[in-house]
Amino acid sequence: MRCMLASMSSVSRHGCFRRVGAILLAAAVPPAGGGFGATGSVTQTVGAYVFPAARLSAPPSALLLRGADPFSSFQASFPVQYKVRTTPSGGGTITLQVTSDFAPAGGPAVASGALTYSCAGAAIGAPCPGVQTASTTMQTPVLRLPGSACTGGGSPCSVQDPNSVTLNFTLPDDPTYDAGSYSATLTFVISAT
Amino acid sequence: MSRYASLAVLACALLVLTGIAQAQALSGTTTLSVTVPNEASISISDATSALDTSGGLFTNPFTGATNFNYKIRTLKTGGQGSITLEVTTDFSPANGPSVTTPPDPTDTLTYSCTLGGPGTKCADNTVASTGAATSVASFGTGAKSTTKNGNTGFVQWSLPNDPIYAAGDYSAVVTFTISAT
Repeated sequence: MRCMLASMSSVSRHGCFRRVGAILLAAAVPPAGGGFGATGSVTQTVGAYVFPAARLSAPPSALLLRGADPFSSFQASFPVQYKVRTTPSGGGTITLQVTSDFAPAGGPAVASGALTYSCAGAAIGAPCPGVQTASTTMQTPVLRLPGSACTGGGSPCSVQDPNSVTLNFTLPDDPTYDAGSYSATLTFVISAT
Repeated sequence: MSRYASLAVLACALLVLTGIAQAQALSGTTTLSVTVPNEASISISDATSALDTSGGLFTNPFTGATNFNYKIRTLKTGGQGSITLEVTTDFSPANGPSVTTPPDPTDTLTYSCTLGGPGTKCADNTVASTGAATSVASFGTGAKSTTKNGNTGFVQWSLPNDPIYAAGDYSAVVTFTISAT
């Protein structure tokens, strides 16, 4: 990761501007008031290093709702949106960790393996396989991103902008839970190389 | 270093720093909430409960049991619950035992209850009725099952073997109801 500059001439008028992670060096322009009648040339190399980058957006809150029958499972579904750019030799991931278990006590507990989820609908990358058990101690997979992935603009990037992956959560309605309201915090992390 | 060169270096430095920031993992958080309600369910394990007598020439009653599984959760404040039963279809055909109009006042269908989990069981020898639900169990505030699969219980039936009954097979329908607030 570096800024590529070439040919720093003595008549340096190099600019190095960031525009979507690219470097654009403007053509040499004489300084105002200088060099009447003089001619010269400056050679510059325009280089760009497009950085791997990623970001995601998860909804601030989601509600698990029970099915119609008593003690049927609670379920919630929501998308996690993301933008990503990976290098040809790189890749990326989106992971999930429950950073704060359900509280208060007496209700469901992620630590006991109660919360499971599946992933679907990703336009880029491979959603998590099967049913995953959320964890409070480790990150569990949501999406695996390939190399040369990029969001938006169409081929070779995705048409969708942003991309999204849908997570479907299931929590059993265990009759040993106390009645009441409980909340947990999920943290999603995206990375790209 | 000229002003332009300084700007170029500064811009590049900013670009590198920005690039580093972009390459770092980013995160987002979601608060996942659930409201666990008061609720209850019951399932009868035995589709048919046979009442049999152990002989004794009218001295021993017909007895049998109905097993059930129940799940319950009552509110932690002001909650309560119950399991009740009602004979919703009396014995038929005629000339045999009857819950509504027993041939003799002592020919009542009675039951006792056993609970494998939370709740206060019914009084022994409770008289079943066709006109009202009678108690099998009652639950107080904050009651809940003790296992994820719920708990089991059973009702032990007793029906006198009155010689006035015509010989034959008779059946009645009993409906169990569970509730929780």
